[in-house]
Amino acid sequence: MYMHNNLSFTDAIRESTLQGMERDPHIFIMGLGVSYQNGADGTTKGLKALFPDRIFDTPVSESSVTGAGVGAAISGMRPIIHHGRVEFALYALDQIVTQAAKWNYMFGGGNPVPIVFRIAVGRQWGNGPQHTQALYSLFGAVPGLKVVIPSSPIQAKGLLSSALRENGPVVYLEPRWLYGTRENVPESPYFEDLSRARIVREGSDVTIATYGDGVVEALKADRLLREHNISAEIIDLVSLQPIDHETITKSVNKTGRLVTFDTTHSCFCVGTEIIAKLCQRNFSALKAAPVSIACPNVPCPTSTALSAMFYPTRLDIVRAIQSLLKKTVTEYPALSFEELHLSPKFDFSKNE
Amino acid sequence: MDESKPGNHRATLLNKEDLLKGYKTMLLIRHLEQQLVDFYLKNKVMSFVHFYVGQEAVAAGVCNNLGPEDKVFGNHRSHGHYLAKGGNPLAMVAELLGRKNGCCHGKGGSMHMIDKSVNFMGSTPILGSVVPIATGSALASKLSKKSGVSVAFFGDGAAEEGVVYESINFAALFKLPLLLVLENNLYSVMSKLKDRRSENYSTQQIVTGLGAKYIKADGNDYLDVHAKTKEALSFISNGVPVVLECVVYRHMAHSAPIFDDKACYREIDVPEERERQCPIRKLKALLCADPATSVELDALEAATIEFCKQVIEQANNSPYPEAGEFLTDVYAQ
Repeated sequence: MYMHNNLSFTDAIRESTLQGMERDPHIFIMGLGVSYQNGADGTTKGLKALFPDRIFDTPVSESSVTGAGVGAAISGMRPIIHHGRVEFALYALDQIVTQAAKWNYMFGGGNPVPIVFRIAVGRQWGNGPQHTQALYSLFGAVPGLKVVIPSSPIQAKGLLSSALRENGPVVYLEPRWLYGTRENVPESPYFEDLSRARIVREGSDVTIATYGDGVVEALKADRLLREHNISAEIIDLVSLQPIDHETITKSVNKTGRLVTFDTTHSCFCVGTEIIAKLCQRNFSALKAAPVSIACPNVPCPTSTALSAMFYPTRLDIVRAIQSLLKKTVTEYPALSFEELHLSPKFDFSKNE
Repeated sequence: MDESKPGNHRATLLNKEDLLKGYKTMLLIRHLEQQLVDFYLKNKVMSFVHFYVGQEAVAAGVCNNLGPEDKVFGNHRSHGHYLAKGGNPLAMVAELLGRKNGCCHGKGGSMHMIDKSVNFMGSTPILGSVVPIATGSALASKLSKKSGVSVAFFGDGAAEEGVVYESINFAALFKLPLLLVLENNLYSVMSKLKDRRSENYSTQQIVTGLGAKYIKADGNDYLDVHAKTKEALSFISNGVPVVLECVVYRHMAHSAPIFDDKACYREIDVPEERERQCPIRKLKALLCADPATSVELDALEAATIEFCKQVIEQANNSPYPEAGEFLTDVYAQ
């Protein structure tokens, strides 16, 4: 299999889109700025020249653009609707949550809405309360949507490819924090399972369940944990609707301990949902109370003096696990300004 | 007078003092931002920024018609609106630099200006979001029988959000004291009007059809914006909300401290045309018809530059918020 060396997360999305459009003439893309030279954060770069009629800029009217996507989807097309920030997608929540998600069910089946909502979410330097929300659990709370979150370039390409073959609406939430990450990625098309969690690292002492940009942080924590001879099993949830509780249960059966890691607020977060379901299914497998690590329940502030304390880090994961295993908690020096505030240039292929 | 034609201003209405006031406001906005551009390029400033350079006549021309009781709301590009309404310059710069004495105590950043002491009521970057909020502010004035108008500044991109049309209808229905200032700088980021609207699109017909008054101004001309705002306020005092569309040139990129002419999307507002239409240059030329004023203006400019320098220095020497402060203010006391 021919591989791209060190393909970026954004290029992986672009390649999946390109291959999808070559494969399926019904795919088209609309959204603000998608036709720019370096459109949609670079993920549609150069595509306008290749498909001039199938990728276009729109009025600044998210509600109608998204609704028009739903209308096209039930009429034989396969649109990709791009929202560069989840806050702008909120203008279109009726169409995503109440129309697209319900359409097939409420009309008694046989009414698919094959559409992909690509929505950029999460942390970015200096963007503050109204430009950095993730709202994962909001989308996860809607049956009828499939909700996936790519955590690496390989996942970004494979999940989008699968989303573009789905018969129903897929919300594809892109953590913009990961846009600069890299990985060796197969050049030819491949398809990742949209509803199955994956084991990123096998381990025996503790299960870390996370997703999206949490996976990079967990992998960084794993390096430190191994220095302390702690063996962590890292699970990338991949999908929030549905959540693959089976894979988590199996892992906790083995490790007896669970730490969840969210890069958004701790209230109604994915981690606590997982913990609740795990306790219902398999309480007796737990050797200790599960731990949820997440952002505090405040909006994300802008000043670096404040945002430095907002996002949990690899050190929080290490400390939580050391406490869980009743080991001495290591005192680490504070993380650098760059690591706290600038998106990671992480290379997944070089992380072994 | 044909209100659909910009540039039909009446300079005679303004005396020298009024013109100087406008010039002073625009100079402050321009120099403070230009020095901030340099500061951004030299330092790691972690606040997402959109500069107003070139659009100063709109903020100054509108706000210099307003009184202390009038309330103003802004968008992601609101340094100018804030300063023109009398917002505290130090609190603005300190906010950009994430300091404790910033207008939001570091929580908001550049896209969130507020100074309620001068009734600058807040700015937010979600397109069109302050239009219904300003409508509600006007509703409150009406219900509580208070004087003063509510003003929202928003762009041509935001004008395409459905909530803007809904709000105009709402305001017209309830005859609210609302002035919507549509700053049409020709682009949503880099998307041209013609790529977002049909050739038959008419803001005038939309606004008029919803029952509000439409007035158009040359946003690159302080005198025209000033005169048209005055006219707008007279309609508002008779219970007719107004959309004042100001066509204006944004000199810099949509965001970041850079010029973006290399991206080659601009058709009319190329650097030479922007310079020709620069509102500050034009007003200065008018004022300098009197040679004595020329000396006065040079002194004013030198003083403004020095003032801005001191503001940035003072902001940069201000302390950061304390650690615990990021947990406060989620709920009001």
